[in-house]
Parts: sequence; structure tokens; C-alpha cells
Amino acid sequence: MGWAEEATSRPRRRGPNWGRVAGWTVLSLILLITLFPFYWMLRTALSTNNAMYLDPSNPLPVQFSWGGFRRVFGLASPAEAAAEGGTTGSIHFWLYLRNSVIVSTTITIGQVLFSAMAAYAFARLRWRGRDVVFFIFLTALTIPPIFVQLPNFILIRDLGLLNSLAGIILPSFFMTPFAIFFMRQFFLGISREVEEAAMLDGAGHVRTFFGIIVPMSVSPILTLSVLTYITSWGDYFWPLLVGRADNARVLTVALGIFQSQTPQTGPDWAGLMAGTIVSAVPVLLIFLLFGRRLVDNLGYSGVK
Amino acid sequence: MRHTPFWRRVGSGVVLATVAGMMLAGCSSTGTTASSAASPGTSQAPGAGTEISYWLWDTNQQPAYQQCAADFEKESGVKVKIEQYGWNDYWQNLTTGFASATAPDVFTDHLSYFPQFVSQGQLLNIADKVSADNVDLAQYQDGLADLWVGQDGGRYGLPKDFDTVAVFYNTKMVEKTGVSADELAKLTWNPTDGGTYEKLIAALTVDKNGKHGNEAGFDKKNVAVYGLALSGNGLNASGQQTWAPYALSNNWYFGDKTPWTTQWKFDDPALIQALGWYRSLQQKGFMPSVDIALSEQDPLKGYLAGKYAMVTDGSWMNSSYLGQDGVATKVAPSPIGPSGKRASVFNGLSDGIWSGSKNQDAAWKWVKYLGSSACQDVVAKSAVVFPAIKTSTEKATQAFTDKGWDVSGFTVQVTEGTTALLPIADHWSEVNDKVTAAIETYLKNGDASALKKANEEVNALFK
Amino acid sequence: MSEASRRRPSRRASTTQLAGLSLAQRRREARVALAFVAPAAIGFIVFYLVPSLRALWFSFTNQNLVGSGRFVGGRNYAKLVADPLFWNSLVVTVEYVAINIGVQTVLAIAVAVLLQRLTRSVVIRGLVLLPYLVANVVVALVWFWMLDYSTGFVNVLLEAVGVDKVAFFGNEVTAIPTIALINVWRYLGYTSLLIFAGLQTIPKDYYEAAAIDGASEWRMFTSVTMPLLRPVLALVLVITVVGSFQIFDTVAVTTKGGPVNATRVIYYYIYQQAFERFDLGYASALAAVLVVLLSALAYLQLKLMRSNSSDLA
Repeated sequence: MGWAEEATSRPRRRGPNWGRVAGWTVLSLILLITLFPFYWMLRTALSTNNAMYLDPSNPLPVQFSWGGFRRVFGLASPAEAAAEGGTTGSIHFWLYLRNSVIVSTTITIGQVLFSAMAAYAFARLRWRGRDVVFFIFLTALTIPPIFVQLPNFILIRDLGLLNSLAGIILPSFFMTPFAIFFMRQFFLGISREVEEAAMLDGAGHVRTFFGIIVPMSVSPILTLSVLTYITSWGDYFWPLLVGRADNARVLTVALGIFQSQTPQTGPDWAGLMAGTIVSAVPVLLIFLLFGRRLVDNLGYSGVK
Repeated sequence: MRHTPFWRRVGSGVVLATVAGMMLAGCSSTGTTASSAASPGTSQAPGAGTEISYWLWDTNQQPAYQQCAADFEKESGVKVKIEQYGWNDYWQNLTTGFASATAPDVFTDHLSYFPQFVSQGQLLNIADKVSADNVDLAQYQDGLADLWVGQDGGRYGLPKDFDTVAVFYNTKMVEKTGVSADELAKLTWNPTDGGTYEKLIAALTVDKNGKHGNEAGFDKKNVAVYGLALSGNGLNASGQQTWAPYALSNNWYFGDKTPWTTQWKFDDPALIQALGWYRSLQQKGFMPSVDIALSEQDPLKGYLAGKYAMVTDGSWMNSSYLGQDGVATKVAPSPIGPSGKRASVFNGLSDGIWSGSKNQDAAWKWVKYLGSSACQDVVAKSAVVFPAIKTSTEKATQAFTDKGWDVSGFTVQVTEGTTALLPIADHWSEVNDKVTAAIETYLKNGDASALKKANEEVNALFK
Repeated sequence: MSEASRRRPSRRASTTQLAGLSLAQRRREARVALAFVAPAAIGFIVFYLVPSLRALWFSFTNQNLVGSGRFVGGRNYAKLVADPLFWNSLVVTVEYVAINIGVQTVLAIAVAVLLQRLTRSVVIRGLVLLPYLVANVVVALVWFWMLDYSTGFVNVLLEAVGVDKVAFFGNEVTAIPTIALINVWRYLGYTSLLIFAGLQTIPKDYYEAAAIDGASEWRMFTSVTMPLLRPVLALVLVITVVGSFQIFDTVAVTTKGGPVNATRVIYYYIYQQAFERFDLGYASALAAVLVVLLSALAYLQLKLMRSNSSDLA
């Protein structure tokens, strides 16, 4: 309901609410464009490669088959795969999924925790040079990843952590500039009175932070966690550099390798699309699970 | 500051979670493979159980090489771990491997990248090993072995296979034009009127109203089927599967000498003539424009969808074009040009050893095996590429024939000696970038000055 | 309103933030701050600062990707200034950023507002976010395929409607806008989610008061929503602009810098110098220039939008 309707008891305008109609039209259009490629991916995932080349713009699956999904989960034999024009490479789907989960979960926990702590120091604590240091942290945003990835790679190699999940996790484990920036903006919005009340009760800064501020900031923290999880889940270049061996391979890298294993007539589109859909499902689930808490509670916190 | 129990609980909880995460991560990293630098192997003498890594990019060939690896292990006890990456990833991963000292022991090498690797010192010089072990270099097709000799006289790989370029065509469409297979093998072209080759292309082109390219009323703005495809990928400085077959048969070569070209001829009138004719095909509507070609991933998809009647492509695409069931396809050799002969770029691959390999002796054994008929015959039988050893090439041609595929359109270039080497030069990456942009410009707007300028710039690199 | 005025530290406070604290208090806060910042600082120093300084050093050498290098002073920078491809890449990238951010921000605000006004559904919010969940490379591939000239669905549709087919990636004029719009598709949900979160912090009182005063929807949007959204918008713009300048994956998969350098964005150019020419020195110099440019841009944006304060204060 629009605010106008809520706030007043004026009679509604006669006739349909053109504003809402226009709004829904625009939203529907945007949703359509957003979702159509996914329909295309699904349609491709359920097609047979060889048949698809002959009829590429058919909006329906061409020669319907579950082959794409079966290849992704490693359930298709090489003969079956070759018959459908799919990649015959093996893919240890569950292993890579597990690796992705471990990597993303660990990174999220560490990054959110440490970034929130640092953000609190930048937003709420008072110390000399605070804003200068914050700006320096911020400039890390502008550094092209490739600049730091090679030296970091050499560092990880020298630490003996190549081809290990720890090596993948380490650089993002402590912070990213975005996380600090994001949490700081939200901490800035918390009223000082809350902290002052806590301090009057004898709590130190640490107790105040973990006991009062954090519970109040569940929504931004949750939002950041979900975003961090999704971002680290979809990271490709760094895990590719550091985790090529099977035991350290994450899902995105596996998909990339899967895609480059071109069989006879070209990339295994059905398999690749199936793999993409499957790897997007876990993060979508997480978002749906936490989504409501995410934004509904992101209310005006503290003082009213 | 008092440490309250609450704080400790929170703190320890966090620490536990983190440690658990790291432990999980640590547990899963047990056992590094031979391809990671963490392995301290310093063995030079290959005993049984040594493992080396080998990279290649072509999945079609992978089964054959797995077989070679299995046979090799039985014979020598050295285990070969084969890793395959798609073309783009392959070179990027290799470069990263060089930079971080985690490159594979042996890898498939390509003429366009080989000069760069030699000048960066990443390839092991095997000249001594070749002479010490009496490797018979004459068993390879003529000229192939010397391709891999550096400017310093060192030898940096053993020949693996070679490829040429020919024309894949839609047999049904070509039948309709009334041209027979024999006539196809004798087509001619010239920069003026395109010869019988252009006549065929015109006949194959069909517009949306069903009119052919050689009929009155042909609408070049609404083409349904193009007589000749244009590969966006192939529009580079070597033109291997696009313009090179024509330019090379117009009495032209890329540069002054080969291998190790230092003076380029991209502003030569013979090239501009050939490109001009190529462009005229686009203007007449017989071949898609550069815009269209660059908006496609490769002509294969369009070909299978029936939008192209003929595609010039390399023998590495045999399985892709001849192995599919949707469109009946055959191979014709490239047309004969003003020089009186046909032409094709001759490319070869080799197997090279990384200079930083910790298992050089084992790597050499593997390379020797790969370069021997024991392995190349296995590859030949799989009918995917043409192996470098003469006897293996024959076996491969036979294997293709057994499959029902006539690949004489490719082999005729070798038997008639009408091939020209893919350019081998330092700074090739930069030459390629500059000349590709110039060729794209020329084909788009007919401005030959772009080629002249590019030629000056690339020549300047070699001063 | 008096409480609100104390909520956001004004810029004055940043210099006088320490005023009103006793020495003991200052010391204690500094100690706590150190403890709080320490882990993030370790990560920053080890994985951001040190590599960056190292790369900066490389920019003054002729460091090779696989070998060594010698100090060569400002030679790389001189080469950079005289390099037409460098300036071309800046122009191309700016064009990309303008289209990408322009379209994306407007649409994201629209979507966020619509999401807030029309529906509380988490599912729809999730659907809008969906493109962000797909790997960059796959997004590029799928769109490359859908926009394919002869077999892509979009062109088939255009033909069916009677419009000429478009060579999206092959035409110099359409190449960059195409890539820009593909990335709008990808990041729209993400950006609108951030703005949506910001919208939630605007108290309903303001809208109710405006409604009582008889303001129209549009008026409420321009006079209430936009001004109060400023801090969040500043955050979003800094993030998205900086990220947009670093466009790489889509180009690497589709056009590889072509046609005729029309999509050779700065990041791709840097990548080519490092990985294809093995010239790490020059690549580092290019990257250093990019860092300076982006930092200046970020600083300007934050200043212009006065993001540390909010009109709520």
C-alpha cells in the first residue's frame, strides 16, 4: 500500500491505480529480461548437443534429455556422453561442491567478523589518524585484482599452500575493502546513546560491541554475509591459480575446465548449462532462507 | 578491562569456528600431485614410480595419448599424468605456470608461442639428447624437425603432428550446383574475377527469396545461405583458415625468410590484391561481413544450421565437421591461384620440455616416446590428426579412409609441396595484434593504408 | 530530531572526534581500536599492501613475467604516455563505465523502489538477484550465444519482427554498449539489493508527512527518497564505478579487445601486457596509473556526495 493510502483516510482515486499498473509493468519487464537467459540455460541443459546445433533457435528443448545434468553429477558413462555430444571428462561433482562450501563458509565467517570489528573501530571508536587509515584501506578497492594476485600466488606457493583449500581461503579471510566500507556505513547510523548507555552500565568497548551493537546489526551483518558467500562462491580466477589439483578444486573452476573439454562438435553446452544451474542453486537457497530476515529487519535501528 | 565470561565465550566460539574451518581445509589438502611445486622431488634418474605431468589442449586426441602413456609406463615405469585444458585456458595456465615455477614437465607446443618461450628460456634445449640417443630426424615429414630449432641453434622440441587447411563443403548444396568432386579439386581463383572458385561460391549463395548469387535479382542485403563462411577467430595475422590460402597462392609470403622472420610484407601489393578480392566477396553478399564473423563463436554452428555452404578450416577440425551426422560433408582442396599452384599454411605441433622441470631425464624419455612411431602410430589409428612421422601419416590417412572420410584435400598440399610455413618470429603476439586490427580495418572499409602503417610498426619491432 | 542530529558524526567531528576525551579514555579507545583493526590490518598488509608495493616497484623496472628485471626509472611511464593503445583503452573503458553505470544505477533505483512499494516478496527479490549468482564466464558465454548473429535467439526474434539482424559484437559501434548492457543484466539485482537495504533506513514518518502535505509519488521520490538515500547511493556508486572500470571477463570471452581495438578495455590491455607479452614492468605501470585514477575518482565521489553525513542529521 502506498504511503498516501496508509497515512490518510482520503477516499481512493476513482478507477484503477495507474501508478501501480505502470510499476508492475516495469517490474515485470525487468524480471522478464532478467530471467529469460535462465530459461535459455534450462532449455539448453535439457537438450541434446548434436540435435541442438541443427535447430539452434528453437525456444523449446531440442531432443529433450537429462544427459546434461547426468554428466554434471558424474552419472553418465563416457559412451553415453559421447553419443549425445557431451564431454567425456570426469567431474567429481560432490567433491567440488564440498570444496566450494568449505571455502565460502570459512571466508564468510572470517571476513565478516574481522571486517565488522575493523569497521566498528573506524565508525565508532575515536583514535588519531582514523580517517586517513580508513581511506588507505578504501584505496585497496581500486587496485586491479591482477596486480595483487600474482604476488599473492607466489606467497602462497612459498608458504607451501598451493593446491590446498587453505591457500584459496587465506587472502580473503581477513577482510575486503568492500566489507569494511559496507559495515562502516551501517555502524555510522547507530545512535551513540545506545553505546553510552552500555558504557554507563560498566561494559567495555568489546562487551558493547559483541553484546549490543552486533545483535542490533543482525540485518547488515546478514546481508554482508550473504553477499560475501555469493561472491566467494563465484570467484574463479584466484581458485584457478591456486587450486588446480582435484582435491582443492572448487565448483567454478571445475565448470571452467568442464567447459573447455570440448568434445567433437564444440563445447558441451548442455552439460555446461546444467552445471551452471546446479552450482547456482545452493546460493539461491541461502538467499531465500535468509532473505526475509535480511531486509525486513533492516529497519531504522535504535532511536525513534 | 575486565574479561567477562561472556566475552570469552564469544571469543572462543569464533576461534573454534575458524580453526575448524582451517582444519577442514587442511585435511582436504593431503597429498599434493606431481604438478605442484610443493613436491621436493629432485630425482634426475628416472626410477620406477617417477611421475611427470603432460599437458595438451585437444580432447579429441586425449584418448590416444592416454594409451601412449599407458604403454610408456609399462615400458619404462615412468607414470605420466595427462592434463587437458581448453585452448584459451591452456596458454594462460602455462604462462602462469612459468611465472610461478609450477609448469608441467612436458607440454604440447605451438609455432606461434614457441619463439616467445625460447626467448624467455622456458624450453629445455634437447639438441644434446637428440644426438646422444640417435633420434632419427629424417623419419619426420620434410622440414618439420627443423621448425623447432631456435635462432641459437638449439633444438626445443620433437615434431608431433602437422595440419593443413582445406574446404569443408555441404555435399547436397554443392551437388545442386552441378559441380562434380573432380571439378572441385581443380577450381581456380584469381584476384580479378575470382575464377571458377567464385562462380561456385556465387551459385551456392542463396538469398531469402531463393535467388542464387549468380542469378539476376539476387538481393545481397538479405542472404539466407552464404556460399563461403568467414571465421572471426581466423581473422588474424596468419589468416590460416581465412585469407591465407589465397594470398599464399598469389606469389606472396608473410615475410623475408622463414623460420625467424624479421622483415614483414603485410603491405605487399600481392597481399592487398588477394585481400581486396576477399573483400569483394563480402560486398557481393557471398561471404559474411567482418561484423557478422566477429559476432559468432565459430562458423561450425552456422554451418550445421545450414547458413554456410562451404567453410575453409584446418585438418584439426576433421572430427568436428566429418564426424557429425546432421550435414553430409566432404573435403575439397583449396583452389589453385595465380601462382599456378594451390596453397595452405603448414603448421606443426611439438612436444617440449619445461626448462624448470625437476624430472628432466624422465621427461626426455617421454618426449622421445611421443616422437617415435610407437606412439604416433597409436595417434594415427585414432584418425584425429596427421602425425609427423611419415609412416604414421600414411597410417592416419588410411584410418581416415576406413572411417569413410576422404581427407585427400588436406594431404594433397603435402604431397604436391604447396604448403607455406606458419610465421615463426619473435614478438609474434604483438605482430598478431597489430596486423589483425589492420586486416579487420581493411576488410571493413577498404583502406589499405592501415596495412601499410601496421607493417611499418611491426618492422620497427625488429630493428 | 535532536537525537538524529547526534547519530551521524559530521565532518567537523572527524577532526575533533578526540575532543572531549580524557587522556586515559583516548589511550583506552586507541588500544581497543588497535585490537579491533588488527586482524583486518594483517590481511590488508600481507595480501594487499605488500603485493601492491611490489607491483609498484615492478613498474619502475623491466621485470619479465618469468624472469628478472632491472631498474629502468620512469621508462614504462614515458612509454605509457606515448602509447595510443593506452589512451584508446581509457576512452573505451570510460565509454563502457558511462553506459554501464548510467543504465544500471537508474534501473537499480527503479527496481529497489518498485520492490519496496509493490511487494514484500522475498522470492521476487531473489529472482532479481539471480544473475549475480552465475559465474562471470558463463554469463558471457550465454549472452554470446543468445546474441550470435546467425543462430542466436535475439537475432532470430529481431528477424521475425522484421528488423535487421545486428552483429552485436562485431560492429565497433555496438560492441561496447553490448558488453555494458550484458553487465547491467548481471549486476542489476546486486545493486538494487544494496539500494533496497538503504531504502529501508528511511523512516516512514517522512513519507507520511509528505503525503499529508499532498505530495505526489514522484514528488516524494525526489524530495524524500533521493536526498535521504545519498549515503547509500554514494556507497553503491563508489563500489560499482570502481568495479566497472575493472571489466575483464566478458571481453576475454567474447571480443578479446576487438573489433579493431573497440573493446580493448584497460584491464584487458594490462592482462595482455602481462600474460601475452610477458612485460610485467609495463603492465604494472599501467595498473599503477589505473589505481591512481580510480582512487581519485572514489575520493571525488565521496566528497561530492558528502557521504559521511546524511540529511537525516
